[in-house]
Amino acid sequence: MTNGSGHPPLRSAVIGAGVISAEHLRFLQRSPAARLVGVCDLSKVLARYAADTYGAESHYTDHVQMLEQAKPDVVHVLTPPHTHCKLAADCLKHGTHVIVEKPIAPTNEEFRILSTMARWQNRALTEDHNYRFNEPILEMESLVSNGVLGEIREVDIRMALPITEKGGGFADENLPSACHHLPAGALHDLLPHLCYLALRFIPPVEQVAARWDKYSDHPLFAHDSLDAVLFGGGVHTRLRFTSHQAPDCFTVVVRGSKGWVETDLFQPYFRLTVPRRAGKQLSPLANQWVNGIAMAQSSVTGFVNKIRKNTPLEGMQTFLSRTYTALRTGAELAVTHDDMDQTTQLMDALLAEENRI
Amino acid sequence: MRLLVTGAAGFLGRSVVAEAIQRGHQVHAMVRPATDVSALAWHDDPAVTLVRADLRSKNGLAEAVKDADAVIHLAAAVGGDLYTQLMGTVVATENLLDAMCETGVKRLIAISSFSVYSYIDKWSHTVLKETTPIEPRLKERDDYCLTKVMQENLVREYADREGLQLTVLRPGIIYGRDNLWTACLGAQAGERWWIRIGAGAKLPLTYVENCADAIVLAAEKQEAIGQTFNIVDNRCPSHRTYIRLLRKRLSPSPRVIPVPWTLMRAICRMAWIANRMFFKGDGKLPSILVPARMHARCKPLRYSNARLRKTLGWSPRYSLRDALDRSFSVPVLREEAHQESEASA
Repeated sequence: MTNGSGHPPLRSAVIGAGVISAEHLRFLQRSPAARLVGVCDLSKVLARYAADTYGAESHYTDHVQMLEQAKPDVVHVLTPPHTHCKLAADCLKHGTHVIVEKPIAPTNEEFRILSTMARWQNRALTEDHNYRFNEPILEMESLVSNGVLGEIREVDIRMALPITEKGGGFADENLPSACHHLPAGALHDLLPHLCYLALRFIPPVEQVAARWDKYSDHPLFAHDSLDAVLFGGGVHTRLRFTSHQAPDCFTVVVRGSKGWVETDLFQPYFRLTVPRRAGKQLSPLANQWVNGIAMAQSSVTGFVNKIRKNTPLEGMQTFLSRTYTALRTGAELAVTHDDMDQTTQLMDALLAEENRI
Repeated sequence: MRLLVTGAAGFLGRSVVAEAIQRGHQVHAMVRPATDVSALAWHDDPAVTLVRADLRSKNGLAEAVKDADAVIHLAAAVGGDLYTQLMGTVVATENLLDAMCETGVKRLIAISSFSVYSYIDKWSHTVLKETTPIEPRLKERDDYCLTKVMQENLVREYADREGLQLTVLRPGIIYGRDNLWTACLGAQAGERWWIRIGAGAKLPLTYVENCADAIVLAAEKQEAIGQTFNIVDNRCPSHRTYIRLLRKRLSPSPRVIPVPWTLMRAICRMAWIANRMFFKGDGKLPSILVPARMHARCKPLRYSNARLRKTLGWSPRYSLRDALDRSFSVPVLREEAHQESEASA
């Protein structure tokens, strides 16, 4: 049976039915490119809930059993980060394509082992870089590739999230998150977003200087702040994570020789400052007008998004859609081995002793 | 009896442990690993053994459960997003049930909630009792209702499959010191203004110490096995009466904005129609504008505790006025009470 595009839907399965699974399962439930054949979680009741809610054909508590019985073509690994490599390897051994939540591996070395295994098995392996596929980022990439901003000179990416505050998953002392055992502690779960976004706009990184700090007295956290500067090809890049600023934000600013563009992925808006047709004298005024109107439109869009339950994870649907198209047509994946290799390399570089300030 | 009480450091758990000690039981009080127990009046009582465990993980649960004659399961997540509540209520219960099955502990007193009932299909002013249907349209209700229904279904499934001696208790609104406001009354607009929805509708209140008494009684009585009981105090007060009694005891007294139930129901209906028209019914609106949730909070119904009184011989120890007096009184620490009694001796 095909879905009209000439390709039969892929048999899909999910390992891990926690909070992030909802976004993946929503895609799998709606997409004609996928047929959800199994959901697996250590908790039977959670696996059953996910299967019932999203229409999976079966549910399991043992991923090997699911791989053998449900025989999926593609598996989404959505478990805590420290389990990603082991589960992805098991899936590859069973001949399935694998989509892994970030971070795919704690280090570049471990990623490369997984990557080699995928190539050897001739199976696709990809990591969720969802924010790369949010509309404002796709628009930014388009502006850069069309030369609207000129030569890229600076990139500034900043995330502020109160991860050390009581009530958050990372701050839970009763059942500490496994992320605290990753090389960068809990920040390791968030920094891939900053890294893969930066890598979309900058040439190869030549030098890294990173300052890791801890400002809270929370016993679980090794760090709660990162301020890093990257240099390469004449481009200065700043990556900043903080848990001590409010409100929450995830801003991306790209500055070029002709103009600059700015967005916030948590409260989306788009501000583009470039030379306008009105000429050099009137361009500042035109930019203010145009951006003022765009900001007002963003406030309406933000309100509608809230009612529609659209979240900043909107890019994941695009990422998954492109990934499934690639899997079915043999085209290049939306997130390639090179993308993952560079991201894990940059994570390693941020953590390397010799790069620390 | 040796009773294992989960959620022992919670609002209800503290009273359940105190009640169980008072009745001469040995209590294994399960608290989370990071809980500061020094504020718990009974933390150093010789009848209490503190058990530190998090039910979201299976680690150490079999060891914690193994010597119990009965488990009183109170632990649940009362806030957070859906997955926080799934983990804290449903997965936690699954882990506890697995530990009970592993160790052969059979007696379970599971604390459910009034939120599991279906309200929107029920006629106003009729009696809500144990036979009232469980909510079938869970997508229209909140995450708390969904997870409590899942939890109740889970314990019943295990009871059938593993031969557990199950009692399900569904308390109404539990009130007491620091927990006197309820969303069923309406909404709080700051500290000085209360929006009261409805006036004559009854509140299914149960004072925390009365509720604890019913729970321990259910653990003691053989007649409770296989039964489901609602827990509400006698003579439930109306919204108007309860707010009047609260305001009397508060200084400065908050001002009340009354909103008739019929008006609120009409507003809710319009919001529902707008949601259908503009968002295909998938829009996220405040709870107060979602009919199924609004009915669950504020619908004028009557409540009965007849089954609990008749089967277990329970009657609430404290009247509404006594309970409010106790809730507003200055708390006396156990150490202080002990010193006072020594001094008087």
